[in-house]
Amino acid sequence: MENLPLERKLEILSDAAKYDVACTSSGVDRKGKEGSMGNTAACGICHSFAADGRCISLLKILYTNECVYDCKYCLNRRSNDTVRTSFTPEEVSELTMQFYRRNYIEGLFLSSGVRHNPTETMEEIYIALRLLREKNHFNGYIHVKAIPGAAPEIVAAVGLLADRMSTNLELPTAEGLRRLAPNKTRETILKPMRQIQQGIAQSKRGETLRISRLSGGRSIAEQDTIGTTKWGFAIPDPSLPPAAALTQKADTPSHSLSDHSSGSLITDHSDRQHDMIQNIPSGTSLITPDRNKHQVFVPAGQSTQMIVGATPEDDYQVLSVAEALYRRFDLKRVFYSAYIALNDDSSLPALGTKPPLLREHRLYQADWLLRFYGFQANELLTPERPNFNVFLDPKCEWALRHLEYFPVEINHAPYQLLLRIPGVGVKSAKRIVRARRGMKLDFDGLKRIGVVLKRAHYFITCNGKMMYPTKIDEDYITRNLIDLDRKKNWEIAYDMTYRQLSLFDDKSMWAGGVSI
Amino acid sequence: MDTLFTTYLCEDTPDGIFTAIYDAWAARIPDGQLKLSVEDGYCFELFTEYVYVQTDLEKAVKVARSIAKKISKEAYDMVYLATLSRDPDKIDVIYRFLKLGFRYGHRVVDLQADETVCRLFDIQRNVSNEAHLFRGFIRFHHSEQGILIAKIRPKNQPLPLIAPHFADRLPEEHFVILDEVHHMGAFHERGRQWFLAPLHEDVMDRIWNSSESAEYEHMWKTFFRTIAIKERENYRCQRTLCAIRYRDYMLEFDSA
Repeated sequence: MENLPLERKLEILSDAAKYDVACTSSGVDRKGKEGSMGNTAACGICHSFAADGRCISLLKILYTNECVYDCKYCLNRRSNDTVRTSFTPEEVSELTMQFYRRNYIEGLFLSSGVRHNPTETMEEIYIALRLLREKNHFNGYIHVKAIPGAAPEIVAAVGLLADRMSTNLELPTAEGLRRLAPNKTRETILKPMRQIQQGIAQSKRGETLRISRLSGGRSIAEQDTIGTTKWGFAIPDPSLPPAAALTQKADTPSHSLSDHSSGSLITDHSDRQHDMIQNIPSGTSLITPDRNKHQVFVPAGQSTQMIVGATPEDDYQVLSVAEALYRRFDLKRVFYSAYIALNDDSSLPALGTKPPLLREHRLYQADWLLRFYGFQANELLTPERPNFNVFLDPKCEWALRHLEYFPVEINHAPYQLLLRIPGVGVKSAKRIVRARRGMKLDFDGLKRIGVVLKRAHYFITCNGKMMYPTKIDEDYITRNLIDLDRKKNWEIAYDMTYRQLSLFDDKSMWAGGVSI
Repeated sequence: MDTLFTTYLCEDTPDGIFTAIYDAWAARIPDGQLKLSVEDGYCFELFTEYVYVQTDLEKAVKVARSIAKKISKEAYDMVYLATLSRDPDKIDVIYRFLKLGFRYGHRVVDLQADETVCRLFDIQRNVSNEAHLFRGFIRFHHSEQGILIAKIRPKNQPLPLIAPHFADRLPEEHFVILDEVHHMGAFHERGRQWFLAPLHEDVMDRIWNSSESAEYEHMWKTFFRTIAIKERENYRCQRTLCAIRYRDYMLEFDSA
């Protein structure tokens, strides 16, 4: 590892983090407060858009790009010869604060390679977050990765400082994982995901999370008053019982955060440390009662992402996995990442393979149908027809196979059915429901409230009439719809107009609508 | 000969607009003969009688209060946003919307297929969208005195919507946001309420020039460059999501 100037570190560690998809800052509304910096908006705020058209909302960085793992698809794998570096907790904290007050960012997205082992890496992350939250009173958004294999205690402690956590599923199936990420297993990935899910549920029920203490269990502020280290985080000597460790720390105030790169919290003595954690009387909590009020566990929920196109799974498998994650793990989002061939490896698509952007786009479209439109994966795809159509979006495709539902009468159809009309989104459906309370809607009225009829008019009637004389005929409509989409699909496939999907194009409505 | 139209001209502020609505309402001029407009940049017409409205806080508060009470808080919020619009017809639309509102009560916001209601929705949405984007796109420079200074070139007047956001977010900072187009500034001093003030161009320049560039600006540009994925480069998408007109003061787009 090299010690480089901060700007060079930022360059390396943001470059290494950029393949992570999620950059949303949504899901939690939190007012600012005196003495601190930051607030959060449930709708999320984009601060810039990079040359690839992706939103920049968070300072997306790796804590370190050192990694003991050798996942084949990853740029930071052990076997790649790249410059390795790490931030210090102080650097992460300072960068976040300085970027935030200049309004460059909405918060921090902190991921990391695995240095030595998962638990130690997460401890470093924990120190950085604690520094941010408690010393610098940062009240903005924090998204942090749970590293599979890290001790549950440290995952729990990090979750109390973060707004969102995510564990990368990496690949849709366990088989894919075995082939491409030999150091990870499905079980180690799902374990923290389950833990976070349970933590969120517990926290929502208002229960205090029972977390064994890692650091003597006092908040930084408290430790300041008893004269420990500069910003606390006293590290108990694993050989001593916790209480003794605290007193001992009080005598050696020189032990500051920056020493951690050499020492360790748990890991070097992981067994003994584990014993120590076990020995703490149950009921001892990392959160003292007075900290409870602002210590909610991962309030913006949990997300994950998987790589599409590195392994041979079909769309049906990918979407079924996503559906299961939404149902069984209460995830807020599943992100899909079109595989970009970065490494030359016989088990991977060849270098220079184009990322499957149209496929990724279709998966996102289907994902929205699952989350907001009441669709189920097996309505959209089946084992016999396992892939999405290149020419038609998933909703159109579904509608054409179910013409028995159409045409739908705009003035009477229930909301759920309105949502099934191609070309009518959540925003439009909501507006229709609202507007028809006031008056009967005709096609002009629909246009006026902003419903786009280009696709929809094949599938609807207003007061019993269609807009044009149209046959409800699969071939006829298919031909027309494909014509509408041809140019756009070509452009997505060839990288011309990829657009981030958004539920509402007028963002101000997000606040009242669905948080993403 | 009687004049065909009576046009009320007022100051382009929420108070000025509400006062004009109060006066016009009180004068009971038939709909077809009444126009309301802001006085700045107004193009005078023939056969029109002009009434210059003197902004009156008391009248404005009365109008605001009766909208909230007799129609709804939601309607008030929408009308308030609309007053900040750049749309030349905004006051006419607001006036017509309020007439409907006083007839239908809170249900008026559901009449979205009505032309007037729909226009008002569009106008206020445009204001609120622009404000939302600026909440993200504003960039503060750091002055030698430790004050954060930002400048924007908006189409509407989003300062009253943006300033409270930053006052909540950065309670411990002194900051100034300058609206170059409308010559207004939003000021926030640590621990105090924020306020708006009209600014002369010279003053604005002086405030702006006191800001200095710093190392973090350079780091931000570096981050902006490295975070993009080359294999997915897509400038058209970037332009759709962050229109060129917003980029004037976004340092990451400086071509240097």
